[in-house]
Amino acid sequence: MRRPANRRRAEGPVMGRMMARFRDGGSFEVAMVALALAYLFVFATVPMLYTMLMSVQKIDMFTLGSLARPFVGLRNYAHVLAMPVAWRVATNTAIFVFLSVFFQLVIGLALAIYFRQSFPGAATLRGLFLAGWVMPALVVGAIWRWLLAGDFGVVNYLLNSLGLIKGHIFWISDPHVALYSLVIANVWLGIPFNMLLLSVGLAAIPEDVYEAAALDGAGPIQRFLFVTVPMMRATLGAVLSLSIIFTLQQYDLVAALTQGGPSNASNVAQYWSWQLSFETYDIAGGSVVAVLMILVVILVAILYVGSTRFEQQA
Amino acid sequence: MKRWLLLGFGLVITGIYLFPLYWMYVSALKSSEDLFAYPPRFLPHHIVWTVGHVFVQHEMATYLTNSLIIAGGVTLICIVLGTGCARVLARYRNRWVDVALFAILMMQVLPSSLMVTPLFVGFSEAGLLHTPRLAVILAQVAKVMPFYIVLTRANLGQIPVELEQAAMVDGASRIGAFFRIILPLARNGILVTGILVFLQSFGEYVYARSMISEDDLQTATVGLAAFLGPNTSDWNGLMTYSAIYVTPILIVFVLLQRRIVSGLTAGALK
Repeated sequence: MRRPANRRRAEGPVMGRMMARFRDGGSFEVAMVALALAYLFVFATVPMLYTMLMSVQKIDMFTLGSLARPFVGLRNYAHVLAMPVAWRVATNTAIFVFLSVFFQLVIGLALAIYFRQSFPGAATLRGLFLAGWVMPALVVGAIWRWLLAGDFGVVNYLLNSLGLIKGHIFWISDPHVALYSLVIANVWLGIPFNMLLLSVGLAAIPEDVYEAAALDGAGPIQRFLFVTVPMMRATLGAVLSLSIIFTLQQYDLVAALTQGGPSNASNVAQYWSWQLSFETYDIAGGSVVAVLMILVVILVAILYVGSTRFEQQA
Repeated sequence: MKRWLLLGFGLVITGIYLFPLYWMYVSALKSSEDLFAYPPRFLPHHIVWTVGHVFVQHEMATYLTNSLIIAGGVTLICIVLGTGCARVLARYRNRWVDVALFAILMMQVLPSSLMVTPLFVGFSEAGLLHTPRLAVILAQVAKVMPFYIVLTRANLGQIPVELEQAAMVDGASRIGAFFRIILPLARNGILVTGILVFLQSFGEYVYARSMISEDDLQTATVGLAAFLGPNTSDWNGLMTYSAIYVTPILIVFVLLQRRIVSGLTAGALK
């Protein structure tokens, strides 16, 4: 039955409105949301819960095909955390995330502020940076592998001609620097998105706030510290948490650049989890690492959602 | 005057940022003598055209077709399942919408490399690994649909509710109003977000690598990874392969640059 819908957007208690929408033929709308959510439930939530289940089961090639596997409690966790590489991987992941997020944020913010000034082509140039963002990360990793090659790499040449280093750095094969080659490539990959989000935040600051600060005698640095940073707090929080999430997701770069090597010197948790499951077939171990990582990611995501809520109220 | 100085410096930093892309194209055109020259040559002495050779030798036609099939399937399912959901979430503001959005945002953050283990085992139990490209599509949709919904929601939120209501006053059903009023108006937004989802899935790697065992069904990323052993030496081949792979992506990006940027800025922080 059709009825003209002339209700206003927000009125009445929630449940009452839900019922009204059903009567109104709105079950179509509920169905559309439910369909998408059901899909995500089946292919994202259920697998996530399934990892948790697998992380406390004994899994080998014989029990792979059945749900009923022996329950081993937290033995898998003890087994994984006792591995000598576990500590190494945890430290690497922390360094990788911290350095990546720090440089992405600083460079992204500097670029966002630069391209905010009015000059011809500013918006177009800023847009061109996103070329890095649309490229497959695996390809980006392959290109950086060539840029950073030890003997013939152009990065070593440029650093030498600038007088910053002497000789060649073996970015990929030297255990002391392999992790930093991942950081460099990941920073490059993350700059565009950081810059874009920070530009949005900058654009939301009204121009007259700056004018008022300038009238009060605030210099550029003071205006940045006392106007820009406080007014961008919500955006900075969101960008920070998104960068952490994206960096914790970064598998392709590791696969293209170092594959975690040499001898786990550049291995990070998200890659290690995959290696355990698909290279050593220790699926229980891979699940343990995945569960621990997913918990971290969800924690960061809750902070992110909180910060965007905060921004909408502000 | 100051504006031109700003432009000049802006061009320099953009150039520095995009240098890796330039280096990929130059290396793809270099002879091995040029490639292994030190100091490196910033322009090739003579151009060597190996595109056709690499394309044929590495069976890129098969790999790229598989990538296209997977990215196309992902985009299609995303648009069909996600658009209506995005419109409803854009139209109302209440606690249920908040809960749904929260759930969707949470799904967006689950890393593929950590979800691949349970998906692989689950799909193996369900027999889905016999149709591995479908398995990759199903997994990848779950990865990118939250992103699609969030961005499309920002676009669809700009279409006034009044248009839909007017259509219903004129006797259209809710379903009819959605298909005849909302969808045509939202076409551009859906297209741009769809393309972003397509590009992301066109470069998907971890699901394809883990779930597809037949070489014929493999994607272009996995084909590229075959170059990347511990002792990579075919740099010309690797860069040529990369260039063939990303050139269409970059063309689409340059053509749609403005729309992509505005689409992302509209929805990125919502």
